[in-house]
Amino acid sequence: MRNVVERVLNTLIYLLESPRPVTAEEIRRTVPGYSLDSDDAFHRMFERDKDLLRQLGIPLKLMPLDAWEVDYGYVVDPEEYAIEDPGLTTEERAALSLAASMVQVGGSHFGLDGLRKLGGAERGVALEPFGADLGAEGDLLGALFDAVVQRSPLEFTYRDRQRKLNPYGVAFRRGHWYLVGGGPDGERIYRIDRISKVVAGEAGSFRRPEGFDPKAVLQAQPWETGADDAVEAAVVFDEDVAWWASRTLGVDYSDGPLEVQLPVSNRDAFIGWILSFGPSAEIVSPPELRAELLSRVEAALAGVEK
Amino acid sequence: MTSQRTVARLSRILGLIPYVLANPGVGIDEVMERFGYTQDELTRDLNAVFVCGLPGYGPGDLMEAYIDEDEVVIDSADYFSRAPRLSPIEALGLLGAALAVSGAGQGTPALDSAIDKLSRVLLPEGEDALAVDLTVTSNEVVGLRRAAAENRVAHIVYRSLSREETTERDIEPWSVFSTLGNWYVTGHCRLVDDLRTFRVDRIREVTVKDETFQPPVELPEPGVGYTPSDHDVRAEIELYPAAKWVLEYYPVEVLGETEKATTIRFSSTDAELPARLLLRLGPTASLVEGDAVATRVRELGASLQARYR
Repeated sequence: MRNVVERVLNTLIYLLESPRPVTAEEIRRTVPGYSLDSDDAFHRMFERDKDLLRQLGIPLKLMPLDAWEVDYGYVVDPEEYAIEDPGLTTEERAALSLAASMVQVGGSHFGLDGLRKLGGAERGVALEPFGADLGAEGDLLGALFDAVVQRSPLEFTYRDRQRKLNPYGVAFRRGHWYLVGGGPDGERIYRIDRISKVVAGEAGSFRRPEGFDPKAVLQAQPWETGADDAVEAAVVFDEDVAWWASRTLGVDYSDGPLEVQLPVSNRDAFIGWILSFGPSAEIVSPPELRAELLSRVEAALAGVEK
Repeated sequence: MTSQRTVARLSRILGLIPYVLANPGVGIDEVMERFGYTQDELTRDLNAVFVCGLPGYGPGDLMEAYIDEDEVVIDSADYFSRAPRLSPIEALGLLGAALAVSGAGQGTPALDSAIDKLSRVLLPEGEDALAVDLTVTSNEVVGLRRAAAENRVAHIVYRSLSREETTERDIEPWSVFSTLGNWYVTGHCRLVDDLRTFRVDRIREVTVKDETFQPPVELPEPGVGYTPSDHDVRAEIELYPAAKWVLEYYPVEVLGETEKATTIRFSSTDAELPARLLLRLGPTASLVEGDAVATRVRELGASLQARYR
């Protein structure tokens, strides 16, 4: 462990200070700690260290050594390495430190790591009786967010299908991260935990359309964001659950049953939500949604008789 | 040591060096506070910095890094004189945390101006490419948060999903947190005289009482766990691929996995929760074992059919 930290620091310094690209072999011969005996052992170590540098957000690039592009070497441009000073005040640092200790991403305080890179915060933070976890797999979320910032077009697999997208933003809502962007067929929203096999294209390849607002994604209910043909559903919630449904829907409620009209473009999510109320909620119309709900119930009944 | 911890350690070192270079004579206490170091960790990191530097690695090539009485000294490290850029996940973690807290109604003017400054540096110009919604949908979260902060007992009216009943109880709210998109309150429940976690959206009313309580010295880690007991209802369920999201939402035990199905064991205090889940899942799951759950699915299914026919 001690060796890893020292090796990475020494490699980084070497790359920052070198006026020309440095080959892997030069790094191997120069930086202490790399295996000189075994090529395999060296390559394993070097791959791991490069991965650490990338995870640290260090802009490690491979560039040709000469005009013939026969040999390649590594470069870290000091200008790209450094961040522009955001000029945070003491109070702003304290507020960020508090927020970053309250909110985790996938169980880790990545925000605190980030704030420390910017010089940390003067006052330590006491334990707060308030916290949140924006659950996610850090590597994938980071890679997608990077593509948004870099404006790199993406290709990825989503529910077994290959997709192309110009990513405009990432958004967290109701326990999930979403990637929003423009594809060949217009604006699209993808749940990030269902995305895999991501390939990012060249940075700076597209511009985000004027007026695009990822926050609009946040305002929709799960059954409003889908590819199904939109229908208007009438639903009645019995008195025992009406107050609860009214909160999810953000509508006023005083007493008695609650009757609402809801736009549905994700039938699967909608029926799942209605069924979560058990027999205390009923889809009044349209008939095809009632039939779909019933067939789901019948399938569940069949599923317990197996 | 996992690579994530190595990254976090290197990240802190790369933040520490420019800070100390820009603030010569900075005290050890301030450095520890600012970067969240214990003295041992700080000494260990300075010792690592001390043996690194420019190729050649002779005495004149290495960085200087040590503790001099109560000051932290770092020198000969010009290449690290500027703060490094944040990795994408660090940038998202920091800005996302700030947006989440601000959006949950806990913002301050300092936090909002910090968000503006960070957005300018971390996001493409003029674009709000990151949005986080932890919006508090009920006043109950606000009331419970106040009760937790002031150590005051709260009287709640709670509808249990698994028992389909509404109860009133006094709780000592220790912490209020959000995970998987829902808000929860954890604390001592006086009705059952035990630790309990409640989903806030099922709390119909909160009354913050004048009576105060003594919170535990160490708060339990916020989380939605489930502690199995002998009285549990257990069910074995096969999930087909479309239902695999269940693994992320419920604390279940995976018994086996094939291409076609994942077999899980679902344990809960009664049959209501797994039965409702099976109704939701419809054709994408089937029950392998669990008589009590099967009975409840039949009951619920029959009353749904009666209502719809």
